Amino acid sequence: MNPDKTGVQRVVFTPVDTLARVDAVVRRLGDAIDLGLLTDGEQLPGESDLAAQLGVSTVTLREALMALRQRGLVTTRRGRGGGSFVTVPDGPAEDRLLARLADWSTEELRDLADHWAAVSGAAARLAARRTEPADLRQLQRSLAELVHAEDSGARSRVYGRFHVELAAAAQSARLTREEVTLQTEVGALLRLVLCDDRFLRDAADRHRAVISAVHDGAGDRARDLAEQCVQASMARLVELRLGPVGGVRGPRPKEAPDGQQPPSRERRVGTA
Amino acid sequence: MGSNPRPANAGSALLDDMSAADAAARVRDALEGVFDAVGATGADIESLLSAVLTEGRRPVSGDLAALRPGLHARLAGYDLVSGIGFVAAPGLLDDVPAWLEWWQKTADAAVQPLLLDLDPQRSAYSDYTHWDWFTLPRDTGQRAVAGPYVDYLCSDEYSLTLSAPVTVGGRFMGVAAADVYLRRFEAVVMPLLQRLPGPARLVNARGRVAASTDPRHLVGSLTKDHDLAAVLAGPAQGTDQDGLRLLPCDGVPLVLAAETPQVAPNRAWFTPGGRRGTRPPSP
Repeated sequence: MNPDKTGVQRVVFTPVDTLARVDAVVRRLGDAIDLGLLTDGEQLPGESDLAAQLGVSTVTLREALMALRQRGLVTTRRGRGGGSFVTVPDGPAEDRLLARLADWSTEELRDLADHWAAVSGAAARLAARRTEPADLRQLQRSLAELVHAEDSGARSRVYGRFHVELAAAAQSARLTREEVTLQTEVGALLRLVLCDDRFLRDAADRHRAVISAVHDGAGDRARDLAEQCVQASMARLVELRLGPVGGVRGPRPKEAPDGQQPPSRERRVGTA
Repeated sequence: MGSNPRPANAGSALLDDMSAADAAARVRDALEGVFDAVGATGADIESLLSAVLTEGRRPVSGDLAALRPGLHARLAGYDLVSGIGFVAAPGLLDDVPAWLEWWQKTADAAVQPLLLDLDPQRSAYSDYTHWDWFTLPRDTGQRAVAGPYVDYLCSDEYSLTLSAPVTVGGRFMGVAAADVYLRRFEAVVMPLLQRLPGPARLVNARGRVAASTDPRHLVGSLTKDHDLAAVLAGPAQGTDQDGLRLLPCDGVPLVLAAETPQVAPNRAWFTPGGRRGTRPPSP
């Protein structure tokens, strides 16, 4: 995601590069906390050790830790037994994810949507041609789990699995690998749109329509519908990214906090 | 790939000629070899689990480490096998809810364990009990061939998985299984299919093509409109349907579908110059 810079560039473009590295460190540690790889109360290595492990300067690491503290993901205690500790905030994960969404530009989100729609659309078209009842059983099982999943994390995991299964139903190992990779990028963000029950019902209906088109062997319809599944979710993410100022028209996800600020500003204050 | 244009000097007629029945038998032999590896793995597991149960305790995941020398030897000894191991029935082991003792060949011919996140709180892929390679042996009590399918759980490869139930005292303990990547399978069976007089393909019981010399029916596509279950349960010499000879690969659930030349017998394709036509009747 964040291109690794060479030593020469590091010297020439120090300020820009440092900022990019702060973002990279924040994203890396934020991901690790959201995925449960770093758990509540866990002590991070000392600053110089951690900086060396991540390959960044201690100045960069301190800026990243400051940004993480402002998001409530890290607390730092001084004195004996002190250090930096992972804190998973009590509030809903959606609040934190909203801050993470700010790491994405709308251009990056649009490009991700295009890539994902291309893969899922092609997968759906091929699956319609190559499907047999056993392929549909897995998709139907995922759809049923999607409808009944309680929290946005489970919904997002099953949503992602549906698209992986669609690519597998296309009998394409390459498209399947591509979907798996896409899900690692988009999985956490999808929680932000799937926490809304009404959106979840719409999404389930859209995915049900994909299954039915694949079942009918209607390749073009299956492709269009699968692309719409992706575009609807990603359009919702872009709306959230733009925030109230950018004009969120539909109802907000019910789990999202009231009076949310465009998180990008908070982050810029924290890292600038 | 493609239909099978053969060099004119492809050897003696004896070497060159292969009947569909011979090809089906050779395909069966190749997969029986893989089933040997599965069977040896299953026997190891059964004796290991029996010994543990005799001690009056439940098995734990660490007990399965004793399978490793055998698994590594079979990965090294069987060309077709790219992954092999034991998939425990959920609840079998005392220390973990689910477990795969699974080893794979790497690109540089080393072996490595498959490490999966089987925590349902973190992974949408933690439940493996719906895959064909698990349900077929569990539900039928018989060995099974699953696929071809994209194996996004273990290898991300287009694969066949051969599996057999493991039982101790009549109780289902899980499945012993081996993965065969389609590209490796193709390398073994294509030379056989290419020695048939016309285009041919191997299809599974559901009609999915597993290998083919016919560009119109490539791997992964479906061959519909034939009662393949009846062919698999039918006579060894197979049946003729719509210009296709459908032969069961005796004992493994694959059907060899070979186009039958409309001018029979094959000798009619010999030309006076000694070159033999290999083209099928035009489609």
